[in-house]
Amino acid sequence: MNGFAIALQSELFIARHTFSSKLIVLAPAVLAVLQILLEWITEAGGATRNNLLSNPTFDDLVNLNAYGHFVDGMKTGLTVLGLLLVAQAAYSFSYDRDTGMIRHILIRRASKPALIFAKLLQINLIGLISILLLIITTYVTSSLLWEFGAIVEDGFELISEEEILAEISTGLQLAIIPLPAAIAFGLLVSVIAQSATQAITTALGITLAIDIFKSMLGDYADYVYARFQPSLIDASYLQDVSRIVRGYSDVMLNESVLQLNLWMPIPTLIIFVGLTMIFIHKKSI
Amino acid sequence: MQTKSKELILSAKGLNKRYGSYEVLRDLNLELEKGSILGLVGLNGSGKTTILNCLLGLQTANSGVISLLNFGPQNLHQSKGKIVGIFDSPSLHPNLTLRENLEHASLLTATARTPQQVEKLLGIEKFAKFKLRKLSLGNKRRASIAHALLGNPDLIILDEPFNGLDAGGVDDVLALIKQLNETDGTSFLLSSHQLPYLENICSHIAILHHGKICLSDRIDNLLSSASSTIKLRTASPSSTSSLIDSHPNIQVLELDAQGYTTLSLTDMSSSELNRLFVESNVPVDELIVQRPSLKDLFQKITNERTE
Repeated sequence: MNGFAIALQSELFIARHTFSSKLIVLAPAVLAVLQILLEWITEAGGATRNNLLSNPTFDDLVNLNAYGHFVDGMKTGLTVLGLLLVAQAAYSFSYDRDTGMIRHILIRRASKPALIFAKLLQINLIGLISILLLIITTYVTSSLLWEFGAIVEDGFELISEEEILAEISTGLQLAIIPLPAAIAFGLLVSVIAQSATQAITTALGITLAIDIFKSMLGDYADYVYARFQPSLIDASYLQDVSRIVRGYSDVMLNESVLQLNLWMPIPTLIIFVGLTMIFIHKKSI
Repeated sequence: MQTKSKELILSAKGLNKRYGSYEVLRDLNLELEKGSILGLVGLNGSGKTTILNCLLGLQTANSGVISLLNFGPQNLHQSKGKIVGIFDSPSLHPNLTLRENLEHASLLTATARTPQQVEKLLGIEKFAKFKLRKLSLGNKRRASIAHALLGNPDLIILDEPFNGLDAGGVDDVLALIKQLNETDGTSFLLSSHQLPYLENICSHIAILHHGKICLSDRIDNLLSSASSTIKLRTASPSSTSSLIDSHPNIQVLELDAQGYTTLSLTDMSSSELNRLFVESNVPVDELIVQRPSLKDLFQKITNERTE
């Protein structure tokens, strides 16, 4: 087996036996389910009151449809997942260097680039598993509490189920595409930082700062991968999808922004990986 | 002159390393013969760990050529576990159990021994299910050694291997090093301040001072070349004094309050000294030959060079 395969095996072994990787897999799904349950509790009371008053609103009608809640759950889960993946990437290399265990793998079986690529792939795999679990749990929870279907008002179909599914699929795709770049950013910080604590605080601090200041960047924000991630101050396409699948027609789509969302994270990922390779080559372990 | 070719397992030539303007290593040369145990000694901050890190590719030397088993420091991983390092800190995952750490190490090397075997070898089998962070420093040190012994390394580089070990632990590690060296032909490079332990175990010694190896040879050559001293006590100190003063090959180093005289001999053996006193009718109560230790040699060299 070559160094990369050994390094990947090593990373997966650590992931299987440590808490942080389990947290990344489980936390987004748990939080999404929790949010859906809270929505259900809140909305059940309001809808009952309006039904008793024989005055159901359009919002009550929309809220009976599971798709909107599914998208909300996914947004919450992906927001948490994005932050956790950045933190995990920032932690991975720097913690191994703090404990000294990185020395064994570098001396015995893997080159520095092989180790970095193994870490990248391993964290991406954990992210992928987490997303799959998030989709399953969010879908199941939403379907238990509401019904999936088209949005129909007064016998008129505002949006068909096929259109909803297509929008959700696009929204999820565009929300997931920036995640590898986010992971690569965390890993870059991990290699540069002096310690694991410094790496995590720096990576999360910068990510949150971008979130806060992205509105001030105007159109330039479209060239920053993090602008397309679901986040605390959400400007991702999934935010728009949340309204589209509820039948609202006030969503303004900008095709060029969607194209940037689709392609910008890829060169960003390559730049981050390239910088990581340069820094790790120079860095003492 | 007959020269015996030696097979080198490690060689460093013209090694230089600077931290900013501070030169840690200056044109350093170091060799390790296959099957030998080399002790690297030096004062605090003399650059011992820097040498080991440069050898293992964890730090980059500013200049110089390094070869370990014909691998350069940046591609040691191609040796596939034939070279391993044991560091002054445990360097294992604190949140994995001891067994998990060893199973993880098994992935990194072609294992000659199972985790259970090395646990037993180091006497730590009862801690197999303990998280590493819960272990004492001594047991963490044993775990590090167990980690290194899973494969069948040709060269083991140890930085301060005796730190944190109790007397029994030190004996175990010394015995283990000796056993691996004799049975498997494993070569060792040990960096330590514990000179008596190194004297006990090493076949070769290299003394590092001011960034250079100022002395390097077989330990028996080094110690035999250093002159022994004689501690002498006689019934008649005045006769002793006049006898010594009259003999050009005897030099007094020290006179202590208990009546002992420490002497240095030139071209004269201790038995010849004894005969001299007996023939001169000066009865000898005690005559102790004091062979120089590695510590004496080290102190002498570092003091001389500092002066």
